[in-house]
Amino acid sequence: MKGIRIGSGSSYWGDMLEPAVELVEKGEIDYIGFDHLAELTLSILQRVRAKDSTKGYIPDIIPWMKEILPPAWDKGCKVITNAGGANPEQAGEEVSKIAKNLGMKGMKVGVVTGDDVLPKLKELRNKGMEFPNMDTGEENLDLIEDRIVAANAYTGSDSIIEALKEGVHVVVAGRISDNALYVAPVMHEFGWDFTEPYFDLIASAITTGHIIECAESCTGGMSNIWQAVPEPWKIGFPIAEFYENGETVITKVLNTGGLVSEWTIKEHLVYEVLDPRNYIMPDGIADFSSVKIEEIGKNRVKVSQAKGKGRPKDLKVCIGYKDGFIGEAQLFFPWPDALEKAKRAAEIIRKRFEITNLQAEEVRYDFLGVNTILGETVSVEDLDYNEVGLRVAAKAQSFEEANKVRREITHLWTISSVGAHMGVPSHPRPVISLWPTLIPRDEVTTGFTIKEV
Amino acid sequence: MKTKVRLEEISFARSGDKGDVCSVGLIAKTSKSYDTMIHEITPEKIKSHFGDMVKGGVELYPMPNVECLHVVLRKALGGGATKTLRYDQTGKAMGQALLRMEVDVENDVLTEARQTMEKIFEKYGKAWG
Repeated sequence: MKGIRIGSGSSYWGDMLEPAVELVEKGEIDYIGFDHLAELTLSILQRVRAKDSTKGYIPDIIPWMKEILPPAWDKGCKVITNAGGANPEQAGEEVSKIAKNLGMKGMKVGVVTGDDVLPKLKELRNKGMEFPNMDTGEENLDLIEDRIVAANAYTGSDSIIEALKEGVHVVVAGRISDNALYVAPVMHEFGWDFTEPYFDLIASAITTGHIIECAESCTGGMSNIWQAVPEPWKIGFPIAEFYENGETVITKVLNTGGLVSEWTIKEHLVYEVLDPRNYIMPDGIADFSSVKIEEIGKNRVKVSQAKGKGRPKDLKVCIGYKDGFIGEAQLFFPWPDALEKAKRAAEIIRKRFEITNLQAEEVRYDFLGVNTILGETVSVEDLDYNEVGLRVAAKAQSFEEANKVRREITHLWTISSVGAHMGVPSHPRPVISLWPTLIPRDEVTTGFTIKEV
Repeated sequence: MKTKVRLEEISFARSGDKGDVCSVGLIAKTSKSYDTMIHEITPEKIKSHFGDMVKGGVELYPMPNVECLHVVLRKALGGGATKTLRYDQTGKAMGQALLRMEVDVENDVLTEARQTMEKIFEKYGKAWG
């Protein structure tokens, strides 16, 4: 049975490079996908591009491609990345330059565009179309219109597949869905299209893409069974052996760290999913409630039996808009009475915020080491803590207001209790809020160009 | 005979974010643990466990095929990762927080579930602790 091997080379901007290089060199893979984009990233990159039109892609693409292209070219492994971010054309140009400098004559770099729907959004709004916020239910986009910095649609595999048909070796895209990085090569290799006979098979590819798209997160990273996960410092990134009947085996390179087990795969199947019976991706809707997961060997897990429903009529759009600043700082209190000292300090800074007339939308106080990440599911007991931190965070519309957190926490050093200690508080950070919405698929046109070295 | 224990005794969890929604996948430690979870866990119980932390609705999606119970917590992340004042911006600890919820578990189910980690170490080895 024909199978193709696809590696997952990155799960976020700033992920490790070494396991990706190892995948290409030793993984006998036909394709490697790189995801560098979180929901916020496009907004950051659009602002970079607005200041300098030759930027706006993920800068890591340059050091990454310098390391990845030589073994990929040598082994015939194709590379698909969304590192183009807000400027795929320029990123494609940079990749071509790298390939040229490395002497890879004949390498074809495909650039996929069309995910930037900001102009389209304005046009459709003028025609009376509404774009309600899927999270809050808020319907009136006018509220934020003058603060919008980016609007990108999560696009599907179409243009990647078309570029692969033209024989490209590298695909550089912007906000294609993470999932499409893996669905596209499968559909291309097996010659599938988006018609009904392929719905279940595409759902299998979507399921596999979902499992491997966060790279190390399915090979023992972030695991409940972390104590059974060997050598995470040299963790192996996942490889999916995908077969034409829709079955996949997830594995990793021999002698790498990490663990591929039924547990680590299940953990990721249920990660960041809404309704698991309707996992909506641009290339189709997958039903995870029929998926079978079987451990069939050491570091080998078979995934099969996904069901599918075809493509949704809308695509998700993430609109990013400027939304003020967050000021955040912390200081620590030592034994004895560490928690009481922290509580007293919280009271002091509350009063200081009153005196300095802090104009904030929200202020939050956490006791580090006590209830910071478990919140109300833990009771704040009067224990004999060795040390407790106080974290204060406030969101305000202006930098000056948010900066009051930094100023006032500094005063706690001198006016709270004995032994308090703090590091250097950071300056307020600008906030980009997100407005998730839907756009009709027909209104989003993607395309590609090819640069040959 | 049943014993009141924290959910952690019979389930694993992995959580993350989708905007202001926190998704928590509960992964049963044994088949019987899964059956217990399906009966013991309700949206109301979860909502009450989290208190003000979860401002929206709670939805449950049983997945018997993989013995997982998927939990969706709406308006749970302070408006979403990019604007929240939460230290745990993306809700990575919310799964562990849910595992603190108390459930009534038959003693034989509990005994078997408590052997899960030992079995995992026997199979894959122990790398730490």
